[in-house]
Amino acid sequence: MTSSQAAPAAVKILIAGGFGVGKTTMVGAVSEVAPLRTEEYLTRASIGVDDLAGVDQKDTTTVALDFGRITVSSELVVYLFGTPGQERFWFMWNDLVNGALGGVVIADTRRLESSFASIDFFESRGIPFVVAINCFHGQNTRSAAEIRDALDLDPQVPLLVGDVRERPFGRDALLALVDHLMSLPAEVEPVPAG
Amino acid sequence: MTPYWEEEDAEEDSAGSMVRPYTITRGRTAPERDDFSLITVLTTVQDPRDEHGVPLRPGRRALQPEHRAILAFCGHPSAVAEVAAELDLPVSVTKILLADLVAQGLLLARAPLSVARAAGGPDLGLLAAVREGLRRL
Repeated sequence: MTSSQAAPAAVKILIAGGFGVGKTTMVGAVSEVAPLRTEEYLTRASIGVDDLAGVDQKDTTTVALDFGRITVSSELVVYLFGTPGQERFWFMWNDLVNGALGGVVIADTRRLESSFASIDFFESRGIPFVVAINCFHGQNTRSAAEIRDALDLDPQVPLLVGDVRERPFGRDALLALVDHLMSLPAEVEPVPAG
Repeated sequence: MTPYWEEEDAEEDSAGSMVRPYTITRGRTAPERDDFSLITVLTTVQDPRDEHGVPLRPGRRALQPEHRAILAFCGHPSAVAEVAAELDLPVSVTKILLADLVAQGLLLARAPLSVARAAGGPDLGLLAAVREGLRRL
């Protein structure tokens, strides 16, 4: 069999953070295409909140996410997925999370707490991440140390401050993630599932 | 930024929006194979042949318009998520259609690179390549 072009290998990076914090903005700033949108049906059975014997359509919900791509070479493409705004939905979307190289958690200094859930999630899943503080128009009254403290961030987790609308900042956040990944020791034991 | 999660709409419309996509799949709600991920890359096979080297001539009528749209789109290698966005169909519905085409030998699927930390994490060569690509942004 022949194909017109050999398929490139693909990897993905998750762009997470609280609702409306600038995830799609960052995806758009670094992606080579305008952010694309896709949807998935998720059933509440996946979250296990209820006994759902006989799940019907009312228990299915539609979650949308925006994503972009960066073609590294003809052999390698990086996909960037902005996670759905409400964590309770992307937490149950295993396909979204599985196989991610790592994540960027975007946080807003005016409401850092909105990104706690994303940080907790990456930590619990053993997914390496960096934190990108988004300050529009340079409005940032808190020091990096204060932010780290407020987010209860492990000292080795990189933290950057900038404007997610700007491609260089998005690029630097992604580079910080890759450097962080390169600096991590190899896992000796498997990360517990879940 | 406009929130794109519209909870109320989704709650109210879910019954209606369920019907049409799964009509496209003739009622199937799960793909034949369940190993596609959002970033599995699909490429249309040019000049598909069977195991005896005989050119495959899928009955065009056996293919639905969505199948044909996928074959046209994946002439350029595309991820599952991109195909779903292009077709404006949910990912799970798209996967069913993609599985049909892979089963017929009309589409090739390439699984994502394994980067699971439990399996040793991504290799340094891959990370170096990603880093080089990002630096050019």
